[in-house]
Amino acid sequence: MLIQAIIGFMGAITFAYIYRAPRDQLVYAGVVGAVGWTICLVTREAWGELAGVFFAATSVALCSEILARRRHQPVLVFLIPGVIPLVPGAKAYLTMLSFLQQDYTEAIILLVSTLLLAGAVAAGIIIASSVFRTYSRAKHVRR
Amino acid sequence: MEHLVGLVLLAGELLLTCGAEMYRVEETIERMGLAAGFVQVEGFATPTGLFISLHTADGRVYTRVRRIRKSFNNLSTIAKVNSLSRAFSEGTVTVDQVGEELERLRLTSEPDTIWWQLIGGIGAMAFTMIFGGNWFEGAIAGLTGALVLVLVAWLNRHPVPKVLQAAIGGIVAAWLILWVSKVLPIDPDVTTLGAVMVMTPGVAMTTAIRDLLSGELLSGLSRSAEALAVSVAIATGVAIVIRLGGR
Repeated sequence: MLIQAIIGFMGAITFAYIYRAPRDQLVYAGVVGAVGWTICLVTREAWGELAGVFFAATSVALCSEILARRRHQPVLVFLIPGVIPLVPGAKAYLTMLSFLQQDYTEAIILLVSTLLLAGAVAAGIIIASSVFRTYSRAKHVRR
Repeated sequence: MEHLVGLVLLAGELLLTCGAEMYRVEETIERMGLAAGFVQVEGFATPTGLFISLHTADGRVYTRVRRIRKSFNNLSTIAKVNSLSRAFSEGTVTVDQVGEELERLRLTSEPDTIWWQLIGGIGAMAFTMIFGGNWFEGAIAGLTGALVLVLVAWLNRHPVPKVLQAAIGGIVAAWLILWVSKVLPIDPDVTTLGAVMVMTPGVAMTTAIRDLLSGELLSGLSRSAEALAVSVAIATGVAIVIRLGGR
């Protein structure tokens, strides 16, 4: 589990670097990625892959929103590297590879699972950001 | 006034080319426009183009269109433009300072260093291990991934479409790993998967669905199309090598 957390950290921090996140935020982005990947591994044992990815994405988005406010950065700086271990990029590629190798049954299964997983990540992000935007707008109006 | 319109447009363009969300671009344009003294500000951002319309108090309307031809990811430019626009609307920086800073960002935001690609290799290594490869397969995938990133960055400087870049990247990655797997004991499938991960559009696809779910239909559809085209291209590249390599 510790090794998996480190792998999640590495994946997120390298992509934070590739996407040129500000230097002093890199470690935080890596930690968000490690948290997300660990939660994904734990919850998908219990509730299945789709629910696991959804919960992991929601927690990544919540962490990113909190960090963004604490450290005065756009949410993207933590969110994009954080969801990197969760997004089904590899599945999208495997789907197309199966189509090209004329393994249509496998391809359709992969395609559906890719779309559902991407949907789960997107839904998690939207829920977290809606909660935060509603909250911060309410605070803004009150002031 | 002309100068201020240019500033707002440049800020929006920088955000779009560096991969910001549509709502952030439109919000920034609105914030900067109102701070610059326009009475009504409309911004319409799509991943391939930006339209702004600024109304002055005496009834004149400035409308500008900017075509966005390239895009890459640069989160720190997004962060800087964001804080700059906030500082501008709070009145803590002058118009000239904003102009200078935006111009400087425009010139420096495109990624070009070799380090960037080498670090990307570590990402490929992490992914190989997420998919169940061992350390050794991870290291091979990392090296190949870094090489592919160098190649793609080089192609990006020439007028080669993104889809063709991805296909060439897929061919090179699959071919190198096929060749290595004949000499060393590695699983070519998982290693190739890790190496091409640096190009796969996972984030683009998630952002596309996110846009669609939150009502940004145009941006959602165009990002979906891009994600689809890129994954088809990578897979085509790899499939060509698999067919020719006789696996």
